[in-house]
Amino acid sequence: MWKHAMKSKQQVTGAQALVDSLAKAGTEVLFGYPGGAVLDIFNCLPDAPFQFVLGRHEQGSVHMADGYARATGRVGVCLVTSGPGATNTVTGLATANMDGVPLVCVTGQVPLGQIGTDAFQEADTTGITRAVSKHNFLVHSADELPEIVAEAFYIATHGKPGPVVIDVPKNVQQALTDATYPERVSLRAYHPESSATSAQMARLAKLVNEAERPVIYAGGGVIASGAAKDVAALAHRAQIPVATTLMGLGSFDERDPLSLRLAGMHGTAAANYAINHTDLLIALGVRFSDRVTGKLAAYAKKAKIVHVDCDPASIGKNVRVSLGIVADVKDVLTTVSSRVKAAEHAEWLAQIEEWKRKRPMAYKPMHQHVIMPQQVIEAIDNATKGEALLVTDVGQHQMWAAQYFRHSHPRRFLSSGGMGTMGFGIPAAIGAAFGRPDRKVVAVCGDGGAQMTFEELVVAVEHKLPVTFVVINNSCLGMVRQWQELFYGKRYAGSILSVRGRLANERLEQDLKYDYLPDFVKLAQAHGADATRVIDPAKLEGVIRKAVKSGRPTLVEAIVEPRANVYPMQPGGQPVEGMIFE
Amino acid sequence: MKEELHRLNCFVENKPGVLARIVGLFSGRGYNIQTLSVGPTEDGTVSRMKIDVLGSDRVIRQIILQLRNQVNVIEVTVRRKTA
Repeated sequence: MWKHAMKSKQQVTGAQALVDSLAKAGTEVLFGYPGGAVLDIFNCLPDAPFQFVLGRHEQGSVHMADGYARATGRVGVCLVTSGPGATNTVTGLATANMDGVPLVCVTGQVPLGQIGTDAFQEADTTGITRAVSKHNFLVHSADELPEIVAEAFYIATHGKPGPVVIDVPKNVQQALTDATYPERVSLRAYHPESSATSAQMARLAKLVNEAERPVIYAGGGVIASGAAKDVAALAHRAQIPVATTLMGLGSFDERDPLSLRLAGMHGTAAANYAINHTDLLIALGVRFSDRVTGKLAAYAKKAKIVHVDCDPASIGKNVRVSLGIVADVKDVLTTVSSRVKAAEHAEWLAQIEEWKRKRPMAYKPMHQHVIMPQQVIEAIDNATKGEALLVTDVGQHQMWAAQYFRHSHPRRFLSSGGMGTMGFGIPAAIGAAFGRPDRKVVAVCGDGGAQMTFEELVVAVEHKLPVTFVVINNSCLGMVRQWQELFYGKRYAGSILSVRGRLANERLEQDLKYDYLPDFVKLAQAHGADATRVIDPAKLEGVIRKAVKSGRPTLVEAIVEPRANVYPMQPGGQPVEGMIFE
Repeated sequence: MKEELHRLNCFVENKPGVLARIVGLFSGRGYNIQTLSVGPTEDGTVSRMKIDVLGSDRVIRQIILQLRNQVNVIEVTVRRKTA
């Protein structure tokens, strides 16, 4: 099964073999946190040819590796200890697994002989992570380590990418081995590469050429496959409008007149109307999430659907398709483009222009002197001239960041789409800054999510990363509050973070010294970062511009209108006719 | 949706953890496996699993696609079992 390089006679410990293998696999930055069961591996790190970045919580370390991977397209690598170290990675792994992000996560484990004895810091890591990873390994012998590392990197990056866990018992780290890193990986049962048949290509070209009202619907798979230019080429050649998923933002330039921008629950009216009226939906690298389709029976009901994806299990999972192609999106587009005839679709594009004009993405200020949260996103866009590498947390601000920033390039919008993990933003932005030191990284967080992983801010300070952390503070868990307002009779249980406005039975003293905790400015300063609070709408853009320009880790807390909601909204399970605009 | 008895035949690499991975795809959906037998094939590195499970065609199809995505699964076939 393996092509071994020349066997070296020199023996090293399993820990050393692991570190050497990670280096061979191309690791440039290793994120992680030490502990008893990985001390042997950490003992090898001072001589490793890659950088180690100490997070402050294992969840943060995995999100950093994730942000690094999303920003660069390379594999994010992470190392944590056994037991609680491993269990703390679960949310991070699930986040990467849902969004198809390639990670390799090494966890320490108690010695093989102690597994199952309730040893100190023992957890069944392969059992726990099975459902949140693409694959995992329990290493039984130091001799297997180089092969397993190579396999893990292969699995993480081939087919639909995802996180792979390598659980390494302590005695395996200490054992000696002369095994070397394999030159090639060939797995017996895993052959995810698949390409379109010529009949499928012919059918695809025919459908595109015959369509009168086509729409391209581009997802994260377009970015993963590096196919953004090919999507643009197809769209321009046949004048096909392009809508994207949240994960697909940046796969098509939103400043292009053919862009319909974001589709789905909080997408543009034009995107959702176009999908509702199209006769051919060309779905590229998407999985038809419930956040996008709304009511399935009514989704794209006039359309033939073509679905191209590298994951066979995605095709036909949620929507019926006329043509399903399991293949790399870029390969398909490169092959099909020469067979697609130039077209105008003038009438269809005129209809779309009318929808865009009638229902633009817009908001109204609610008070003259209060910042609207959407304004914060526009200010980031203006202050960075659209060049920011924008990383979001999860909630209302995430949707505003999707809606009010002009997304133009792949890998410049990083967000936890599938899992919706609060706490993703700060560490993922830090990971992204390690991967892309040339970019202006801006993290946008809500006040809720920022508190979940705030401790990671010290990492940005220690490494002097030029990251701007914008906390949009509406003193509530905005998306929860919005759903309670719209669908749960305005009973704001658990969603108000200020003292004012809390329900009586949450039993807070009304004469507390503070109405709102924490003080984000003081908190950021305590972590060593620069920090500013902005309340005046007129000063907003200047403050963000200054923070971005400073090149230092800086937190900007924008106090915003707490009652602003995310619109438009197509409530879950509703057809497009159910869209709410205000 | 109508649930019917399906017989799945899975050929998998004979490694620890593979059975748990496969069974998890059923239990995670609340499906109860009715019969399960696992045994070696002539090739000792390959095991054969026979799984009888009640489920709708649509969900079983989805499970099969996800089974085929598993790193250790070599082949999966299915047929409807008449009672």
